[in-house]
Amino acid sequence: MATTLVSSAGGMLAMLNESHLSLKLHALSNLNNLVDSFWPEISTSVPLIESLYEDEEFDQHQRQLAALLVSKVFYYLGELNDSLSYALGAGPLFDVSEDSDYVHTLLAKAIDEYASLKSKAAESSDDSIKVDPRLEAIVERLLDKCIVDGKYQQAMGTAIECRRLDKLEEAITKSDNVQGTLSYCIHVSHSFVSLREYRQEVLRLLVKVFQKLPSPDYLSICQCLMFLDVPEGVASILEKLLRSENKDDSLLAFQIAFDLVENEHQAFLLNVRDRLALPKSQPSESVEPKPSDADSTQNAGVNGADDVPMVDGESASAVSVPEDPSEKLYAERLSKIKGILSGETSIQLTLQFLYSHNKSDLLILKTIKQSVEMRNSVCHSATIYANAIMHAGTTVDTFLRENLDWLSRATNWAKFSATAGLGVIHRGHLQQGRSLMAPYLPQGGTGGGGSPYSEGGALYALGLIHANHGEGIKQFLRDSLRSTTVEVIQHGACLGLGLASLGTADEDIYEEIKNVLYTDSAVAGEAAGISMGLLMVGTGSDKANEMLTYAHETQHEKIIRGLALGIALTVYGREEEADTLIEQMTRDQDPILRYGGMYALALAYSGTANNKAIRQLLHFAVSDVSDDVRRTAVLALGFVLYSDPEQTPRIVSLLSESYNPHVRYGAALAGALIAMAMVMVQISEASDSRVGTFRRQLEKIILDKHEDTMSKMGAILASGILDAGGRNVTIRLLSKTKHDKITAVVGLAVFSQFWYWYPLIYFISLAFSPTALIGLNYDLKSPKFEFLSHAKPSLFEYPKPTTVPTTTSTVKLPTAVLSTSAKAKARASKKAEEQKASAEVASGPDSTSASSAGKGKSSSEKDGEAMQVDSPAEKKSEPEPSFEILTNPARVVPAQEKFVKFLQDSRYVPVKLAPSGFVLLKDLRPTEPEVLAITDTPASTTSTTAGGSGAGLQSSSSAMAVDEEPQPPQPFEYTS
Amino acid sequence: MDTKLTEVSQLLDRFKAAFLRNDFDSSSNLLSQLKVLLTGFRSLPPLFADTPNAVQELTIARDIYEHAVVLSVKIEDQDAFERDFFQLKPYYTDARNRLPQSPQEYPILGLNLLRLLVQNRIAEFHTELELLSSTALENPCIKHAVELEQSFMEGAYNRVLSARQTVPHETYVYFMDLLAKTIRDEIAGCSEKAYDYLSINDAKQMLLFSKDQELLEYISEEHPEWEIKNGSVFFQKAKESAPCKEIPSLQLINQTLSYARELERIV
Repeated sequence: MATTLVSSAGGMLAMLNESHLSLKLHALSNLNNLVDSFWPEISTSVPLIESLYEDEEFDQHQRQLAALLVSKVFYYLGELNDSLSYALGAGPLFDVSEDSDYVHTLLAKAIDEYASLKSKAAESSDDSIKVDPRLEAIVERLLDKCIVDGKYQQAMGTAIECRRLDKLEEAITKSDNVQGTLSYCIHVSHSFVSLREYRQEVLRLLVKVFQKLPSPDYLSICQCLMFLDVPEGVASILEKLLRSENKDDSLLAFQIAFDLVENEHQAFLLNVRDRLALPKSQPSESVEPKPSDADSTQNAGVNGADDVPMVDGESASAVSVPEDPSEKLYAERLSKIKGILSGETSIQLTLQFLYSHNKSDLLILKTIKQSVEMRNSVCHSATIYANAIMHAGTTVDTFLRENLDWLSRATNWAKFSATAGLGVIHRGHLQQGRSLMAPYLPQGGTGGGGSPYSEGGALYALGLIHANHGEGIKQFLRDSLRSTTVEVIQHGACLGLGLASLGTADEDIYEEIKNVLYTDSAVAGEAAGISMGLLMVGTGSDKANEMLTYAHETQHEKIIRGLALGIALTVYGREEEADTLIEQMTRDQDPILRYGGMYALALAYSGTANNKAIRQLLHFAVSDVSDDVRRTAVLALGFVLYSDPEQTPRIVSLLSESYNPHVRYGAALAGALIAMAMVMVQISEASDSRVGTFRRQLEKIILDKHEDTMSKMGAILASGILDAGGRNVTIRLLSKTKHDKITAVVGLAVFSQFWYWYPLIYFISLAFSPTALIGLNYDLKSPKFEFLSHAKPSLFEYPKPTTVPTTTSTVKLPTAVLSTSAKAKARASKKAEEQKASAEVASGPDSTSASSAGKGKSSSEKDGEAMQVDSPAEKKSEPEPSFEILTNPARVVPAQEKFVKFLQDSRYVPVKLAPSGFVLLKDLRPTEPEVLAITDTPASTTSTTAGGSGAGLQSSSSAMAVDEEPQPPQPFEYTS
Repeated sequence: MDTKLTEVSQLLDRFKAAFLRNDFDSSSNLLSQLKVLLTGFRSLPPLFADTPNAVQELTIARDIYEHAVVLSVKIEDQDAFERDFFQLKPYYTDARNRLPQSPQEYPILGLNLLRLLVQNRIAEFHTELELLSSTALENPCIKHAVELEQSFMEGAYNRVLSARQTVPHETYVYFMDLLAKTIRDEIAGCSEKAYDYLSINDAKQMLLFSKDQELLEYISEEHPEWEIKNGSVFFQKAKESAPCKEIPSLQLINQTLSYARELERIV
């Protein structure tokens, strides 16, 4: 407005020189309006206005007005610091609600300033840093205004950044949707609060607020408590829910337990489990003193020393004589929840799911097997690895059993990995794990002729089977470790023990492994180093220094490398607490220790996207003298950034153009092939055509006789990863609640070592998590339950199995696949309706019905029904429906999660609206009989084969004929 | 007419009376009151609110500031002149479409030009000149200032001094006197450069003094560094100003070349 009327602010500036006060005031207030257009003119008079601001004779209002004016001029001049300090002088005249660039800019500046002051004050923890009270007042005014205006998220974000927990609490409690804001706040604190201590403070506050609510969201509380490592809190909540009369509450408790299990924090879970009070009928045990971490795991280890699922046994004994009906109910629920917390239930259900939904394509393996040269041991073992990864957790070892002759070509370490591969395949098969491996295990010191390689491999396999849930097997592994002096067996036992007691920080085990380390044998020492790290994962204990000292003493590079990785593992997730150790390692003379330092950085800051860590890593990536260290630094960037996948390519892209091949290697993570496979896992061809090309490219490399061995190996591994776990798993480093999955991260970190030691490839199986939605009822069984996936079925269906015409040469394979499927489609579109339907049925996975395959399983009938219901309606209008009905339990790939919807009028209602994972279902019609979906569990008759004799072999094959249960492979003889 | 306007106009009448009496103290006093009262009118610059009495208010305000300018000349206060003139200026420039032209406009603009000339602010003088319309330039008041400036620049100082006799307005006399002083400073500056020394008589004539006494006073006041001996004024001290520094060409060339070399290496 002023711009059109006046051509100059000179008049007003002249008026400032008048002697009369009211004239100055008049001039000031007019200039304040004119400043937006005439700041260049006014800027020459700034000293004059400043002197007005400092003039004591002026009254408060006028001085503030002068300050505001100066502040605006400085703002236009780009002097934000001066501008802010004068704006502070303007006091209440600086209107935070004004909608102008000036105010927005200065507010941002003020908040930045305030936040940096506050965090500096918090970090140095002395009171010397005084925050300007006026600055504080402005920020508070802003926060209050946000709260009043209903911009709670903004207020919360600012409050968190400024470390004003009081305001944060106010914002949350005053918001209209407390639950929503709380979950937003949890999300924010995980993704943006990079300081671990402060994040804990925030979470503690959140828990406090949560608990004040009339209907607390126990799911979120427990997640927070887990992060804070307060097992008592979780235990008391769970107990309260379990004791409730309402059945829904116990469902909720089960759901909480499943969610906690998903985060794979073994030590914490055990703690919670041990703190749950026993039923009152046994008062003597309910008052047992709360054991410390090490004790509790020790107890568990003793209890579960035998090979039966010890939790069931334990609780069964605890629930012996319930008198009171409510106590009885509680005891029953308690036994269930203990089962869940120990991980038994979820592992068992996962196993069932992976087994029944296994869609891995044996033909691919066959093709690979035929194409690799017999004498090329690298490719040979790569194929074995690929097989293990492909069938991870499915218990399907058909391929191995069908190819015993071929398998027996494996010698020495290849034999070790072949045996260990069984562990991957049977991953999570806790009950029968040991009996499955029995034929290969060391036979009580008598040296029953078994090769040390297969014995060591078997111990490693046991570790893989029991990874992170190893109470049952620990004792056995320890005994084996103690009773052997063969370094290969020690190697296997160390790895196995480390896996089984992941993160439990068990002192006794640690000592035993240390003894192995001190024998200074390269092979055993390397495994011992890694194993110590696994044992101490995330504890940040001072054992790391012990390990570091030994790493300096020993001569063996392998041991140093193992120890370096082990040290890195101990600081997992400790963030700042690990800084001293990292500093120590990264400054070391020895490149291998610096290399370990990179891993330490990667693990300590994994998934935090912490700027400091990134900066350090980038620095090492370009400046270290050792190529290994540089490569690892780039690789470590991936770990630090994994929660922020969009950012990673941007940071890494420059490095990928580096002239140094090692850096490029790191940027691509083990060569483009494997990395591509990790990206492409479980993306169907329909949703991304690149997958098809990629598969064909892999095939070409494998089949091409002239291709380099290394790239062949990469391609074989990649095709294994691509179809991992019977095409039902994916690599997932974050749980659904955005917690890091400790096992997965650790697994991947150790996996990335495979360059130096191939058997470590199997660690990738730790990073696999099933992509499934498994609905469970009160009895923890999966009832028949349908839900909707609101997307074209072809987008997420399993890749079509390769169909090989047996007579033709395998080289023509890719084209053959294409033509048949294309023809099938063409045919289908031409023919009449019925024919179409039949074609559908014939082509198997083309079928539009539920994704469960139903190979003669109990679910096949239901599938058939579903198909009959669905297909006629769909055929009429369009060739492909825009949705599909999935039946519990179903494969739900990550990209599909956003399409999953629960049906309105369904009998079951989920307790938590989660699109994947374990979901507890509330039964709305409890009187009706329930139909259960899957009841079959793999390998129920294996006990007979435990002897590993010829009789066992026969009985297993006969059992196979009866119920198609997978059996352990026949004990084969190595012809080395 | 509303009460405020009446009050202002009554006060203005009292001010004018005092002004005519040459009672500068009371007129300054009244003027200050008037200015404060004016801040109450929203129709004045920079707001230009469309109040019903806008025209009267603007007119009266302009009148007040015109008088203020003239008053400042009379009390020989250049700062006050500048201050009041700048406050008056929006009434001439921005309020041109709202008010009939003031008869005092050109004399006051001319006065301002003269002031700039006196203060030797030639750049601002020309800026002001550029803002004037061609009709304004025809006005004798403006023309007078323009001619003065031209003579001043040419060095025709005698013409400048003789112009004092032909002032278009009695208020100009004050500035013309000041201008004589400015001119004398200019001449003194030139003489310093042009001569090593001058006899007292020549210097007196050159600096347009009538008596030796005046010359000596001027020298002791403005140029104490000048020496007077043997009936002459010596300027040599001023001549001792440092000779033009030699340009370190060789060094510069070397530097530039090395920059170029390094640049080549970087690229």
